[in-house]
Amino acid sequence: QKQLDINHSPNNPALDLGSPQIVFPGAVLATAAKTGGDLAILGGLWSEYYTQSAVASQYRSLVQYNIQSPNFNSSYTVLMSSGLKNYQYVIDKAKTSEDWNYYLMATVMKAYTTEVLVDLYDQIPYSESLLGQSNLHPKFDDGHTIYLNLLASLDTALAKNLNAPTSTNPGSSDLIFGGKMSNWIAFANTLKLKMYLRMVNKYPSDAENGIKALYATSPSFLTVDAALTGFADQDSKRNPMYEQNIKQLNTPDNLRACKSFVSWLQQNSDPRITPFFGKPNITTVNAGDDNSATAGASTAATFVEHYNDPVEFISAAESYFLQAEANLRYSVGATDVVSYNKGVTQAFSELGLDATSFIALGGAYMYPITGSMADKLQAIITQKWAECAYGCHGIEAYFEKNRTGYPKTSLVYSDNIAYIPGQIVVSKSSVLAAGQLPKRLVFPYVEIQSNPNAPALVPITTPVWWGN
Amino acid sequence: GKAFSQDISVSGTVKNAKGEAIAAASILVKGTKQGAITNSQGEFSLKVKNGDYLVISAISYETQTVKVNSSEMDVILKEQDAALTEVVVTALGRSLNKAKIGYSTIAFTADQISKNAPVGLLDNLAGKVPGAQISNIGGPGSSTKVILRGYGAIAGGSNAPLLVIDGVPLANNSPAGSDNTDFGNGINDINPDDVESENFLLGTAATAIYGSLAKNGAIIITTKQGKAGNLKIAYNGGINFSKVGKLPKMQDQFGNGWGFEFIPGENGSWGPKLDGVVRPWGSVVDNSQLIKPFSFINNNIRDFYTTGVEGNNNVSLSGGNEHNRFYFSYGNVSSNGVIPTQSDLLQRNTFSIKTNTNYGKFSFNSFFNYINRKQNAPNTGQASANGGGVFESLLQIPVDLPIKDFQLYKNKFFNVDNYFTPYAENPYYGLNENGDQQRSDRLLGNLEAKYEFTPSFSALYRLGGDFENTRTQSWNQPNAPASGSWNGPNPTNTEGATRKVDPGSYEKYNQFYGTINMDFIVEYKHDLSNTLNLDIIGGGNYYQNSYEATDALVTNLVIPGFFNLSNSNQPPTATGSTTRSRSVGLYSQATLAFKNQLYLTGNVRNDWFSTLPIEKNSVFYPGANLSWVASNTFDLSNSSISYLKLRAAYGVTGSAPSAYQTYNVLNATNIGLGFGSLTSPFNGVSSFLVSNNIPNSQLKPIITKELEGGFEIKALHDRIGLDATFYHRITQNQIFQVPVAPSTGYTTLVQNLGHVRNQGIEIAFNATPIKSNNFEWNINYSFAKNWNKVLDLTGGSPNPILNTAYDAELRAVVGKSVAEIYAPTPQLSPSGQIVVSPTTGFPLVNTTPNTADNNITKRDYGSALYKYTMGFYNSWRYKDVSFDFALDYRFGGVMYSGTSDLLNFVGNAYNTTYNERKPFIVPNSVVANTDGSGKTTYSENTIAIPSEDMYDYYYPTKNPALAYDSRIISKSFLKLRSVNLSYSLPSTWANGIRVNKILVGIYAKNLLLWTPASNAFVDPEATNYGTDLNGELGEFRTAPLEKEFGFVLKVLF
Repeated sequence: QKQLDINHSPNNPALDLGSPQIVFPGAVLATAAKTGGDLAILGGLWSEYYTQSAVASQYRSLVQYNIQSPNFNSSYTVLMSSGLKNYQYVIDKAKTSEDWNYYLMATVMKAYTTEVLVDLYDQIPYSESLLGQSNLHPKFDDGHTIYLNLLASLDTALAKNLNAPTSTNPGSSDLIFGGKMSNWIAFANTLKLKMYLRMVNKYPSDAENGIKALYATSPSFLTVDAALTGFADQDSKRNPMYEQNIKQLNTPDNLRACKSFVSWLQQNSDPRITPFFGKPNITTVNAGDDNSATAGASTAATFVEHYNDPVEFISAAESYFLQAEANLRYSVGATDVVSYNKGVTQAFSELGLDATSFIALGGAYMYPITGSMADKLQAIITQKWAECAYGCHGIEAYFEKNRTGYPKTSLVYSDNIAYIPGQIVVSKSSVLAAGQLPKRLVFPYVEIQSNPNAPALVPITTPVWWGN
Repeated sequence: GKAFSQDISVSGTVKNAKGEAIAAASILVKGTKQGAITNSQGEFSLKVKNGDYLVISAISYETQTVKVNSSEMDVILKEQDAALTEVVVTALGRSLNKAKIGYSTIAFTADQISKNAPVGLLDNLAGKVPGAQISNIGGPGSSTKVILRGYGAIAGGSNAPLLVIDGVPLANNSPAGSDNTDFGNGINDINPDDVESENFLLGTAATAIYGSLAKNGAIIITTKQGKAGNLKIAYNGGINFSKVGKLPKMQDQFGNGWGFEFIPGENGSWGPKLDGVVRPWGSVVDNSQLIKPFSFINNNIRDFYTTGVEGNNNVSLSGGNEHNRFYFSYGNVSSNGVIPTQSDLLQRNTFSIKTNTNYGKFSFNSFFNYINRKQNAPNTGQASANGGGVFESLLQIPVDLPIKDFQLYKNKFFNVDNYFTPYAENPYYGLNENGDQQRSDRLLGNLEAKYEFTPSFSALYRLGGDFENTRTQSWNQPNAPASGSWNGPNPTNTEGATRKVDPGSYEKYNQFYGTINMDFIVEYKHDLSNTLNLDIIGGGNYYQNSYEATDALVTNLVIPGFFNLSNSNQPPTATGSTTRSRSVGLYSQATLAFKNQLYLTGNVRNDWFSTLPIEKNSVFYPGANLSWVASNTFDLSNSSISYLKLRAAYGVTGSAPSAYQTYNVLNATNIGLGFGSLTSPFNGVSSFLVSNNIPNSQLKPIITKELEGGFEIKALHDRIGLDATFYHRITQNQIFQVPVAPSTGYTTLVQNLGHVRNQGIEIAFNATPIKSNNFEWNINYSFAKNWNKVLDLTGGSPNPILNTAYDAELRAVVGKSVAEIYAPTPQLSPSGQIVVSPTTGFPLVNTTPNTADNNITKRDYGSALYKYTMGFYNSWRYKDVSFDFALDYRFGGVMYSGTSDLLNFVGNAYNTTYNERKPFIVPNSVVANTDGSGKTTYSENTIAIPSEDMYDYYYPTKNPALAYDSRIISKSFLKLRSVNLSYSLPSTWANGIRVNKILVGIYAKNLLLWTPASNAFVDPEATNYGTDLNGELGEFRTAPLEKEFGFVLKVLF
């Protein structure tokens, strides 16, 4: 029998050789690969920073809003199996060894990754998920319940003693903060803030109570980017959106400057147009205009990407915009204008630019202190929208558009004289009913084909649980 | 009294009925160990007592017992009935009288195997074994595909039969290259000239004693051994010339261009009608351009190929005495195929030594074979990011461009900068500058010791091994068209397109394969009574299989022409893997014989596998077979029937799963992106993730159960014979990685599931219409039909996809076969008419799930499996001249052709001239309309496909609904496999030059090929999808097959 006990693969480490240090970084790569890859492209297209080139075709179905069940199989699969399962593995291992640093880190990343999936799909398996063969058909949980669970898990992790002797220093295996735990606490708090704010429409008391309780703890919020950096100009080591859209695709110029975003930048003489599109004077394409005869179709500027662009989970600027909204809504913390100005300043400085003149009195992006609540909210969310064009983070702008309605949806197409720069238009090649925009993704085919507990498909025009 | 008991000398001769002396006949004094052997004149002498009985026996003769009644005795032995004496080598290397076995076998001798100096063991047997599908799938040295009695395993195991050489399993590995190359499989390494016989055991019942290894049947190969006597030296050799075989039929109406315009930079023939007018063509370089008539070039692709030349030389020495015999051989094959340059090269050296020793009760045998192989294989299929894809480049050259001119690939008009199109590379560039080469060293052999304790009790130990080391390298030259050239950045070509940069690459891939096999067998024979005999064996087996591979790759070569892992600005990608599995088995087989007419054999085997869960690693296989020689039971002497045997057999075998599917593991982080990936180590941090596959701690082996029955009948003094078999085989416990919902945290789960049924009939008929001393005529005909059906795949997908090419899929489908080909199909109106787009007139692709076919929207174009196969062999011998030919016919089945795909896309295919490319309305088409009440109505389609968009009609992206009609083609073919003419020089001539025997011959192989009209593209046997079920999808721009001609010379000194 001993001769036959040789079925442990020498090519792979056995499961019990794993540890938080070894598994956690890989799971972070999984989250970054998808939120900063396929989903970044989807978010960027639907946030109308850029649109599909009329002389290529790679993302045509996305700008048509022609989303079928299998379209995002890969993102869903990777986030679930390479991401969430491994975060849970780290949580379980860290809990056993009372390594509260990894416990917090994995809890935050699991919450972040789950939240992205819930925001995309409205409901996903959560309470019965990640159990392998012991539950092959996990039931779907509603998004609100999942949110509350995630928030509770963050509270639990934050309550642990990070200074316990059993807590190890993650050092470089923390690819996000290099082991600086104060940043993880800030990341956890900022994520909580973001999730509470998501609930303002449908669960306003959850949002308000949660945020007030959060502020009552004198929380630290992110002042640095929670992002994956450290990309190198080698195969499989580059920024995921750059790798797939520029380096590995046969044509690197599918993504062309979209009128919706660029018209706004140009109207405000915003210098960010150069880092995003190469130069200030560029031609653009109207969103989803796949007619190659339209002016600008082949000359529109290509969206500029770099191998070492970060993949943002929550940027410092986004943190300030979230705080500004909390300040505004619940009068907690600093005043909204202070947070807003920090956000815009940070948004410019991450591109090496100076926002001083823009937020100064009379500046294009001056906070509407005297404006209405809606004016203020629009200013905050619009700036967040512009900021999310940086760091492969368009999906967040798309969520916030669905939550807040900003940027506003244009009543006319962007080739119309009456078009207001910066407004979101319905794609010209939309396959949806007139005036409709996509509000979610349909349940992924990989899940529904193998899980009889999956709910019936919901049209992509139906808002998710927190959406309007 | 006394005088009678005294020793007397007896001498005499033993002869046959024709009066010919019988050498080596044994004369034994009954009841003693005394005896003698006849000499070459059939003479013997020995001392006996008067009144003794002599038992006289000789191989192929009936044993006779005579009473000594004289000092001079001449004995005449009666020849045994050939049918009753035919011996075949069966499982475990046991030679058994064929009459005794209850399952179907078919054996071939050295002459049949190596008649025309073949390179491969099975080259001459295609079409001659009913129930065996044998195909060579590529050029020189490429893989040989063998499938016996259809496909049983969909997933988790192979369908290849077990190969056994001198009792030891022969590894049939396919050491792969990294590109789309075929360096052949393990069976190709054995020199056919060393082989004495090959016996096909088609069914599981025949191979059950082998347990797991032989679930798909077995081919038992026995090598030549030395014979006692003088040193014999033999030379067998040949020289072989090959020409390219079937090539696609091209259209000859339209030339270079696109959309009816002459565009010299286009890689297609969608241009204007060919008019023969001399015009400039190709690139403009230094303000000059080449000119040629705008006309079709006949044999354009055929002329690209050259004549392949192959030399095959084999020398053997053999001899020995009554105690020690040896056989030594050296064989050399040096072959350069039909592709220009040395891109298809095979150089093989084989050394073989076999010894047989016996001293009394002890015997010892050994066999060693060393094979050294150097091989270059063409890169088929699609070009990789680094280059390659010779055939792809070739097929897209417009029909009016002279391909052969491009061989000056450094000429300024044809070089990297200025090749006529930016969309492809000069095929001669890839052949000359890129390559794939494998070198291999393989040692296989066995040691066998046997001791006979008594004539009825013996023990045997056999140790065998097969070890192969291969070193494969592939290189792709970096190149980039210069800026401002025809194809470079800022291109001057008509397309405004820049040819993609080839960054270049170099890869080194080392593989080791090793198997060790040990058997210990005891045999006991016992006569239970005069009419009942028992023969029983028991044994144990130990088997180990190892594989090790290391692979290193660099891309972005910095110094062109320097192929080394150091030559890159990127770190190399290196991977390594090791796989090892073992099994231990115990087995027993018992044969009970009743009166030379009824033989019942039972066998049992139990295996313990390392690849099964450790506490559940035992598998039991029973089997039994019954043979009834009815012609010995009934007196048929008054009928024309000379031999009648009925047989029935049942057997169970299993196939051990591949290693490492029972424990969960971690994988190095590798996250797939839309294109490319993100991997560990990242930024100096290494990481591993929990595998996404759930292993199976209850894993079971694939089990095959088979019942077969049949009969053999010979009549008219054995002039005609018929052998028929019916079989019914169920293969269950297929090992699938079943997809699971990602919310489980995993993507797949290893599971045993499914039942596949193969049942069929096999018929072999032979006849000898004329047989005289001077003239003999033999014919053989074989027929086989296999019905393949997936009975269920409960627990998994009912129609798993096994292989794809663009939108064509190969699926195993419950209720259908294991190999159904699916592809897009047009949307049809209720009356069956094609629904087209009301704006473009192009057919709409069907998107309505077919509820009768698992809700698939694609159509089942049919099974890829042959409906039936037939072989016909005819031979004539007049005195010393013999002539024979063999035909192989396979009917039914469809395949996907990637060659057709490319030719249709670029407008080179003959079928793209439909309606002379004038506008036409899709035949039998309608437009769907919605009336006021929301009801769908259909009206006549009036929109024609315009000439300038004609290419879109043949392009699967633009016309997926109809494009696959031309890409899915019939697999049927009839091949003239071989024609041989040989002449044995009269012995007087031969002796005149001091040799014993000389035979000279000429031959042709695969000379003629007939295919149905729908296949105007490829030889349907060619594939670059491998030798197992996946290969049934078809081919993807693979290398064409060849036809061969040659001379053979066989000299026995």
